[in-house]
Amino acid sequence: MSASYFFLLSDPNVQYVALGAMLLTGSSALMGTFALLSKKSLVGDAIAHAVLPGVCLGFILAGTKEPLWILAGAFLTGALSVYLIDFIVHNSHIKEDTAIGLVLSVMFGAGIVLLTAIQKTGNAAQSGLDQYLFGRAAAINRQDLLVFGTTSVLIMALVIVFFRSFTLLAFDRHFAHALGFNVKFIQFIQTTLIVLAVVIGIQAVGVVLMAAILITPAAAARYWCNSVKTMLWLSSAFGMISGLCGALISYAAPAMPTGPWIVVVASVIAFVSLLVAPEKGMLSRSLRQRRLQQTIAQENLLKTLYKLGEKNEDFLHERTAQEIMRNLKSARPQKLLRQLLKQGYVERNNNHWKLTEAGYLRAQRIVKIHRLWELYLTTYMNIAPDHVHDDAETIEHLLTPELEKELERQLGYPSTDPHQSQIPYRKT
Amino acid sequence: MDYAIEIHDLTVAFDRKPVLWNIDAHLPAGKLIGILGPNGAGKSTLIKTIMGLIPAGSGYVKIFGQPLKEVRKRVSYVPQRETIDWDFPVSVMDVALMGRYAHTGMFGKLRRADRDIALDALRKVGMEAFANRQIGRLSGGQQQRTFLARALAQRADLYLMDEPFAGVDAATEKAVITLLREMTTQGKTVLVVHHNLQSARQYFDHLLLLNTRLVACGPAPEVFTPDNLRDTYGGNLTLLTDVANLMHQEQHPVRENKLQQE
Repeated sequence: MSASYFFLLSDPNVQYVALGAMLLTGSSALMGTFALLSKKSLVGDAIAHAVLPGVCLGFILAGTKEPLWILAGAFLTGALSVYLIDFIVHNSHIKEDTAIGLVLSVMFGAGIVLLTAIQKTGNAAQSGLDQYLFGRAAAINRQDLLVFGTTSVLIMALVIVFFRSFTLLAFDRHFAHALGFNVKFIQFIQTTLIVLAVVIGIQAVGVVLMAAILITPAAAARYWCNSVKTMLWLSSAFGMISGLCGALISYAAPAMPTGPWIVVVASVIAFVSLLVAPEKGMLSRSLRQRRLQQTIAQENLLKTLYKLGEKNEDFLHERTAQEIMRNLKSARPQKLLRQLLKQGYVERNNNHWKLTEAGYLRAQRIVKIHRLWELYLTTYMNIAPDHVHDDAETIEHLLTPELEKELERQLGYPSTDPHQSQIPYRKT
Repeated sequence: MDYAIEIHDLTVAFDRKPVLWNIDAHLPAGKLIGILGPNGAGKSTLIKTIMGLIPAGSGYVKIFGQPLKEVRKRVSYVPQRETIDWDFPVSVMDVALMGRYAHTGMFGKLRRADRDIALDALRKVGMEAFANRQIGRLSGGQQQRTFLARALAQRADLYLMDEPFAGVDAATEKAVITLLREMTTQGKTVLVVHHNLQSARQYFDHLLLLNTRLVACGPAPEVFTPDNLRDTYGGNLTLLTDVANLMHQEQHPVRENKLQQE
């Protein structure tokens, strides 16, 4: 498998396409990061669709598929869409999402009309113009590479120069303004670069799928980091990987389109990120939830042993699993007991279990917090004593030592809870 | 007397609807000044207009006797907490460093000295230990302290703060007010939008009572009277509100000679 890919890369045509796709997706992902952070993801989609009439106009004016004319036309209508959205939002009662939807569909519709009109003329030079719908990555040649390369380098350089301004504008526009930053100028540069990224990006994936390579790598990158700088690196790396894989897949499997494959790879990266990223990923979240539930179940068992001991002041008394089960609502008490045994909170003597010293202290703390919280609710929040138990059941597992101390201090170390049960304090 | 802020006949309108009418006020330098008023009184609008974030319909503001443009570096602004995107990938230190941008500008390099100043600001508000924490993983009080640190790092002379005590715990409120007091003793001017009447009296040297128009402005003991408070909080001037709504409906200009807004 890897040998065949290696073989592919030695073909100059494949090299052009792979390198071209990587440059396009990498630089789009950079600007996509700022679009995402400024909550302008949808605007990116509108720009992408609005580029189509520009492509057609460029062709009509030049009479051939001259890349510079087409890029210029695309850039013009792409930028126009941004200002149109802005104009509608500021001068009418139409909200931004509606304005985006309006501009996107009107511009795309105009593009399709122009495209059809051009195709009807029977001009031989027009064949292949419809590739702008889904991308023409497979047709990237040496000359294209030069144009894309220059544009990508320009975008990267300006992102470095304007990094601070773009970040601050996305994070806290008012503060940027208050500092005397030229907000309008920064906004203009940022919009120009996003349009530029879209215009060259549509060469790879086409107007319909462009939003995907603009936003998807950035969305995936957000899962892995908490800094804008890292996010930019990751996002452009994800973009490049998608570009490279898309190009290779389309060559390895005949008749496979490049653009859509780039989008598929980007989506897979985003999906995997959503699933497995540390902290923010779904797996890590559900694992945390599970661990929390397990701790709650274990603590409830310790509490049960403590309360059984409370009846005759003998907390370290040995008890059978059956006796514990009778007093504890749990599906798998045996498993919990084994876990607690491993952690050193209980001891086992044949079929008898008892709290260790550490287990006793932990159980005592939970019971104490439970009763203190019940008292807090009844005294500070005037909640009836028969309504406070359920709240306390949750809080007892949650409270940090600092909050525990604060609670004790505010209540003044009371001796009994609202139900006249003793509040146990650790003897010092 | 030195004035930090002079407001002259300031009128501000949103979509032609006036939210501030003819405000005239002089705010002394080196004082802790509170802006008090009910919801919708235009408190935030006033400091945003002073900061140049909202254009004035008429009138003007001078800061330290000069237009804002000339003294921008010396003025720091703390926005309302709910306007911030707390999920944004920046750390506490990143936010504090933003205060230094007032001196480096859009492109200047942040020097090591700037980092030291930012870190020092974080230390002052007790957030040093959280320097690398993403801002969304802080409590409300810690978030407010972080933004205060950003303002401190700017080393400004005038601080405009929009509801710095909204949603913070009592300990933070106390720590912040002590810090603000300390700043005024060093000659800094601090202007705070505040909503709690109970604490206003003891917190501020100087008060500006606002309810779409200026009710009173002066030293706290003189201004904080039952009559003034009743004027500020007791019912809006219904005629004034009606006229404002009419101006919005008819898209009437705020001033005759301003037929075309912007």
